[in-house]
Amino acid sequence: MLGLIYNELLVITGRWRSYIGFIGISILMPLILWGFAYGSESLQSDYTRGFEGSFMIVGSIINTFLATYIIMNAMWIHIPFLITLAAGDSVAADGSNGIFRLTLIRPVSRLKILLSKLLASYIYSAALVIFCAFWSLGIGSLILGTGDLIVIDKGILILEESQVWIRMLLSFSLAIVVMCMVATLCFMFSSMVDNGVGPIIGAMFLIIVGYIIIAIPLDFFKKIEPYVFVSYFNIWIDAFKDPIPWLVIGKKLIVLIGYSIIFFGIAAYVFLNKDIKS
Amino acid sequence: MILETKNLSKSFGPRIAVDRLDLQVPKGSVYGFLGPNGSGKSTTIRMMTSLISPDIGEVFINDMSVQKMGSKALSDVGALIERADFHKHLSAKTNLSMLARMDKTDFSNIQKVLDRTGLSDRGNDKVKSYSQGMKQRLGIAQALMGNPKLLILDEPTNGLDPEGMKEVRDLIRELSSEGVTIFISSHLLDEVQKICSHVAMISFGKLITSGKIEDLLKESNFFMTDFHVDQVEKSLQIISGQKWILHSESINGVLRVSIRAEKISELVQLLVQNKINISAVIPKTNLEDLYLSKIGIDKKL
Repeated sequence: MLGLIYNELLVITGRWRSYIGFIGISILMPLILWGFAYGSESLQSDYTRGFEGSFMIVGSIINTFLATYIIMNAMWIHIPFLITLAAGDSVAADGSNGIFRLTLIRPVSRLKILLSKLLASYIYSAALVIFCAFWSLGIGSLILGTGDLIVIDKGILILEESQVWIRMLLSFSLAIVVMCMVATLCFMFSSMVDNGVGPIIGAMFLIIVGYIIIAIPLDFFKKIEPYVFVSYFNIWIDAFKDPIPWLVIGKKLIVLIGYSIIFFGIAAYVFLNKDIKS
Repeated sequence: MILETKNLSKSFGPRIAVDRLDLQVPKGSVYGFLGPNGSGKSTTIRMMTSLISPDIGEVFINDMSVQKMGSKALSDVGALIERADFHKHLSAKTNLSMLARMDKTDFSNIQKVLDRTGLSDRGNDKVKSYSQGMKQRLGIAQALMGNPKLLILDEPTNGLDPEGMKEVRDLIRELSSEGVTIFISSHLLDEVQKICSHVAMISFGKLITSGKIEDLLKESNFFMTDFHVDQVEKSLQIISGQKWILHSESINGVLRVSIRAEKISELVQLLVQNKINISAVIPKTNLEDLYLSKIGIDKKL
């Protein structure tokens, strides 16, 4: 199985499309960090507007942790798109390129081949999220420095620096689970068609529809919201609550993993019964 | 039998691609699989290699059902299905190493199969820089990766120049002499006759005939016969009305006639009676004639 996963990673790392996400992040992050460094005063006044009458803030609250927190808030719709660029190709491209005529005639079960492709997509997804973390936390700490994190949600939460590293680790780990679910969704579509674009469109369409459903305050949409997987994408925010709502995180994880299992189950059913005609 | 199909059938919508096909491929044979375009050859080969599931029937390799045992039944099989496609952005060696991991074969086999297919000096090049002929050779190389006992080749000489075709022919003979059973589909009947011991012909998904080539040629009622005569055009006029002559034409001053074996003497008599001098009567029956006659009969049916 490890050999099969290694094979898939060779294919992913050999495709230029796989680097679009990394290149995009490498261009975007320095710009954002530069923006934080030079626009910190106006950003701080915007961020603290709601409680400046109650608190006196000495010094700057802008540091790499706050920057990362804000970046994550802004990017949780964009990163899924970067994930789908690789996951969309993982099964479909092998069909359209005739690779299945080489691989599916070998003494390896289709299920193992499919699973290795999925796990390779997961590794890619995790790598992309970790790369984001490397930029925002690693390079960001060099540019913006570290310190306490002030989180404004239903109130104000001040997390000490020693706590924030742990919270960030938890938050990025939860973000990886979300992105793996996105990869599985795209993977499911990828197993159904023979081109890499269809799965990307299909997955992004469902994600955008999900965002619309949770954004519009209609009664009907509120009723179906618990069944919309996109409404669990913000699980990473729970890492910055105090105390950490483990039960809520657990429930959300069960839903996300449950959806992933269902999507993979559908992909497996389709792939195992698929006639390879191309 | 190393490879057997029993009642193998497959339809795509209303179109029957393969219809109750029974094949028996003996161990050690070089088995030619012939049929016109769209006759169901590729569908049959894809069912043999588990790429397509049959509607009914089964394929057995070494008495193991491909449909029931899945990938286990394919452990001794190497195959090249239609054109050879690889990850173009990776080198030939990387592509083969990926397949070696799947076959669980020794990586030293990579150099061996590249040597065998004449690609050893291009192994590190990306596949996208390969010509069609080189890709086809690489396709044969990957089929040999797992040291197969049964090699299934679907149009293996596609895209190859005459020299490449000869090399593939020699390779097939060499593998056959090593005891590898080879099942080969090809349009090149001359090729098939040169290398195959057995043959099966299908048309519209149905088996028309199968067996040892020499036995089939012996049993054949149809003979393409060349008559060396002094007046070819007059001869053509004389025989034009005869219903028992299937086909006649003039080729390089020779009268070529498709005729049943027992009618040859009757034709000689007819020509002599019409004052045609015959210097030689040469039977020309080959696999192509047999194929055309069998497929022709099937089409008339």
